[in-house]
Amino acid sequence: MGRRFAVGRPLIAVLALAAAACTGGDGRTPLVVYSPHGRELLTAFEQRFEAAHPDVDVQWVDMGSQEVLDRVRSEKANPQADVWWGAPAEMFTAAASEGLLEPFAPTWAAAVPAEMKDPRGLWYGTYETPEVIAYNSKVVTAAEAPKDWDDVLDPKWKGKVLIRDPLASGTMRTIWGMILDRSVRETGDTAQGMAWLRRLDAQTKEYVLNPTLLYQKLAREEGLITLWDMPDIEALQAKTKLPIDYTIPTSGTPLVVDGIAIVNGAPHAAAARQFVEYVGGMKGILLAAREFMRLPARTDIPPDSLPERLRWAQAQIRPEPLDWARLQQQLPGWMRWWDEHVRGRSGG
Amino acid sequence: MAPDTAPSAEAARTASGTGAERSRRRSSRTAVLAAVVLALLLWLVLYPNLYVLADSLRMSGRWTLAAYARFVRSPSELGALWNSIWISLASVALSGLVGVPLAFLFTRFDFPGRRLLAALAAVPVLLPPLVGVIAFLFLYGETGFITRGVQLLLGLRAPPWRLNGPAAILLVHTYTMYVYFYMFTSAALARLDPAQAQAARALGASGPTVLRRVTLPLLFPAIGGAALLVFMTSMGSFSAPYVFGGGFRVLTTQIFVSKLNGTPEDLALAAVEAVVLAATSLLFLGLLERLERGRAYTGAGKGIAPVRRRGAADVGAGVVAFLVVLVLVLPHLTVALVSLVPIGTWTTELFPPRLSLVNYRLMFTEPARLRPILNSLSMATTATLANVALAVAAAWLIVRRSFRGKGLMSALVVLPWALPGTVLALALATTFSVHAPWLGRFVLVGTAAILPLAYFIRDIPLVTRAALTSFRQLDPAVEEAAASLGAGPARTLGRVVLPLVLPGLLAGALLAFVTALGEFVASILLYTHATRPISVEILSQLRAFDFGAAAAYAVLLIVVMAIVFGIGQMAAADDAVRRGGG
Repeated sequence: MGRRFAVGRPLIAVLALAAAACTGGDGRTPLVVYSPHGRELLTAFEQRFEAAHPDVDVQWVDMGSQEVLDRVRSEKANPQADVWWGAPAEMFTAAASEGLLEPFAPTWAAAVPAEMKDPRGLWYGTYETPEVIAYNSKVVTAAEAPKDWDDVLDPKWKGKVLIRDPLASGTMRTIWGMILDRSVRETGDTAQGMAWLRRLDAQTKEYVLNPTLLYQKLAREEGLITLWDMPDIEALQAKTKLPIDYTIPTSGTPLVVDGIAIVNGAPHAAAARQFVEYVGGMKGILLAAREFMRLPARTDIPPDSLPERLRWAQAQIRPEPLDWARLQQQLPGWMRWWDEHVRGRSGG
Repeated sequence: MAPDTAPSAEAARTASGTGAERSRRRSSRTAVLAAVVLALLLWLVLYPNLYVLADSLRMSGRWTLAAYARFVRSPSELGALWNSIWISLASVALSGLVGVPLAFLFTRFDFPGRRLLAALAAVPVLLPPLVGVIAFLFLYGETGFITRGVQLLLGLRAPPWRLNGPAAILLVHTYTMYVYFYMFTSAALARLDPAQAQAARALGASGPTVLRRVTLPLLFPAIGGAALLVFMTSMGSFSAPYVFGGGFRVLTTQIFVSKLNGTPEDLALAAVEAVVLAATSLLFLGLLERLERGRAYTGAGKGIAPVRRRGAADVGAGVVAFLVVLVLVLPHLTVALVSLVPIGTWTTELFPPRLSLVNYRLMFTEPARLRPILNSLSMATTATLANVALAVAAAWLIVRRSFRGKGLMSALVVLPWALPGTVLALALATTFSVHAPWLGRFVLVGTAAILPLAYFIRDIPLVTRAALTSFRQLDPAVEEAAASLGAGPARTLGRVVLPLVLPGLLAGALLAFVTALGEFVASILLYTHATRPISVEILSQLRAFDFGAAAAYAVLLIVVMAIVFGIGQMAAADDAVRRGGG
């Protein structure tokens, strides 16, 4: 008897505990947001949005954009998230083609240019994120710092370049995509771009696991140069005193369209629509621009309502024209090829 | 699987005690219990993984072997397979070389502080996976304390080494995995009957001969179990190769790359990589089981504590033990130090310029920040209790009873270790995201049940191996004696068997508990906002570049784990005293 119960009792305990954990809550509608935008920005939006919608409890889950896609994919049969906020447009395009997103038409939809949103309203661009060249500003002066992508290949930076693992990062994939897309545009194939990446690999000291380690290694002078995106470095400067600054590449830089979408089958679709409406609305856009250096994707924002530094950056940026459709189709294969044939092969 | 049907409770109660009837009842009880355990294992361990197997054979809705063909043709895939295998074998060898002698050091020698040092020698298990990796970076990374210290001491211009490549992976593996050898061997040594060694000596065997012919064979189940766990943990290890590998390919990193790339071809390849990984681990399991078979190791455990004398060798042993433990606790001290660093104040200095308790204050002044700790505690407790129940049932069945499907059960209880956490999480997410009760599928994704379930499944091998080892060392004569003295099966189990297998079982259960408490790989894929465990919160703090806050969480986790271990050690010691005295 005792033996049979030995199995049963803990199982009952498991079920009881599970049941107990499921109840609770304060009666507000929980709104689950998957987002890579980081604690500060998400907390700010959570507070402002909840002040305007007291019946909603925003629960953001902080993860990388590639992880969000992965998760939304595996939760397809039983979606857990309501809103997916933050990822390059290509990722949203991929998700849209897999039926992972739900259409919605916010009031500000028309203010977003056609190339920055889905024609069926499955996702909308919120911000434009420029990719930049970052450096340790304690060791490297602004005058010495690389001004353009090719400058990073200068022999003086050999063994001083740190690169965030390109396969896991939307930012890095976009930069890789730009190099390879340039190559296809200019020569018809990727050979020139892969040659460029091979030279970069030879400059590269290390491929770094995640942005945090990247910042730390850069600040501790384990490397001096890296490629990253502008808002993240701005946020880092605002939050920490790490000696990291950036230059905007002169020959052009990809402007990653960063978007927002409602997950198909979102458990709390009504609250999700309110949230998307808020994030892309004038209040949300200005909050992101003024406090988090996010360039609005909407074209109807009066320039004088944007902060000084953001307008300076806007003036510096030369958008790189990219064939996003080609990238969406070809980039996974290119990344795989790079991983197998270029990465670490140049004795970096 | 079970030939007999379950006897009703009434039938069991009214059945009288003639010998034949009792034995028939006993065998049908065995069959029922075996059927329940097997069904549970098949449903939770095997079934979800069939979906992974199916994924490896399917591409865009068609059945195909294309992904396997791609695997076999790709030199980098085959290279990754080979790397996984040799790194795992080397990890087993190195962990054994550290763990087994350490266990002897602490059980066979006596020196001041032995108890404390013996407990501290298990500290790597207190270091949560992610935190451990970060601690190693702070210590031995290019700008780490030790690296810079050596650099300054020797007046070098460049760092003396780089924490990179296979050597770095093996360093981390050995540090984190020798604990299996250490704990399993210690538990087995504690149960070893010194009379056998004494008898061998009296018959003229020399010290080394006794070790080789008597002690080591008796330890074989423990050492074999540890080797298996290390091999499989190492095959499934992801953080170490990913962070320190520097482009060194193993199967787990390949799975990650394939999954991230996300095309249908890549997703099928990821499934193939997972299947190859599991198959390799199972092969190793098969080899080990074959080695174990045909050996009888019972006869131990009459409950006499080994005789100890203090001598000159003990002093040497004490010094060695102290130095080893010092190296082992360095990562923990590092984490403690980093937890005192306010955000953004430490850049290129050798030591942090400013220290304060601000991270701890924040952690305790915001009650919401304590939530992950409570979550992890309750989920790990739930999972471990279930693990112990299953382990006792399964181990008892496998060691003491004969029934159909025993081989299957032995394989199933080890299978979870053969599958990397990511694969398990994916399998669970796939299987339990659909409501189809007739297929044994329920919607568990997004509920509070999925994480404890994942922890439970992941830790089945750990607890079951520990229970198996204990049962195998237990002389059946003890049970037979209890039975012949009139004790029923329940009484024999409760009063005789469980107390005797407790030290081993407890070692396994504690390992399972702390593993679940710090579990990261599966958690990251399955957590929800409400069930956020501490490891995910640590990652979240790291993402926010708050090393200090992350380290403060880690310290809290380490302290909780240490308390649990302390309790366990005390219980084990009490148990030893009780058995020694009785």
